[in-house]
Amino acid sequence: MTAADRPFTTEALSQLTTDPGPWLSCDDCFRLADRYVEVLLSGTPDPADELAAMPTHLSGCSACAEEAATLLLLAGGDGVDPAGALRRLTGG
Amino acid sequence: MTEVSRDRTAARPAGSPEPGEDWIAELTSDGPRRDDALRRLHALLLRGARFQVSRMSGLRAMVGAAQVEDIITLAADEAMVAVLGKLASFEGRSRFTTWAYKFAVLQAAVELRRQAWSHREVPLDAVPQLAERQPSPDQYAEGAELAHAVRDALDRVLTPHQRRIALALIVDEVPIDVLAERLGTNRNALYKTLHDARVRLRAHLALQGYLTPSPGETR
Repeated sequence: MTAADRPFTTEALSQLTTDPGPWLSCDDCFRLADRYVEVLLSGTPDPADELAAMPTHLSGCSACAEEAATLLLLAGGDGVDPAGALRRLTGG
Repeated sequence: MTEVSRDRTAARPAGSPEPGEDWIAELTSDGPRRDDALRRLHALLLRGARFQVSRMSGLRAMVGAAQVEDIITLAADEAMVAVLGKLASFEGRSRFTTWAYKFAVLQAAVELRRQAWSHREVPLDAVPQLAERQPSPDQYAEGAELAHAVRDALDRVLTPHQRRIALALIVDEVPIDVLAERLGTNRNALYKTLHDARVRLRAHLALQGYLTPSPGETR
């Protein structure tokens, strides 16, 4: 099936036009992911602001977002509300 | 009880010590102390891999139960090699367990995506044409004009490569690792292509008046 056979959904429209933010590679996202989820869990802003590009990267890269959400849940254990995890990861 | 806490309960008998700040010391020591640390690390990585796979129900349903177990075991084993090979790069900026988990999560997710798509075709031979579709009443209300503008922008402002990658990843929902494997490239390169495509689309749509640039976004 090609794209021509697929519905052009509202979600696809949103994903195509989402603001990609400052460039952050998937490798750098992986490098920062453990620190990022712990900053989110602690509620303390990162003083070096090195993590500033993480929310937009995770909004735009579904694979990195899927993995980061799992990492957040693993790191937080029972103290994390699963429904809110992805929202916090992407800056929502 | 969540699957995470179930796994933790199963993996750590009551009264056994929490993994502490001495993971590095234990993993770089000798004898039974190291053996015990290696055993605990592998159990932790299995837990991380299993939890990742458990959260990917759609793809998990596309492979058999035995294959799922193979994926989890393989991911934990490969993550073990990665963690031990990168111990010197651990800077202590997160807990060791969180740092180690991410290797298992990545390996499990990538392997499940690959296995689930192993028998599925990814249409890449031609640059696909977007179908013109009649918007539904809701779409009219929510911005059919924008949808038309995006279709037009896809044709006008993206290179054939950018268009093909954006459509495969977003419209056909091909997992990025699968697409990277089929194209002989990597996740970084494909995401860069998608990033640049979005920048072009947004700049064009902003010039056309269809969207407002975000603060700090150049037009």
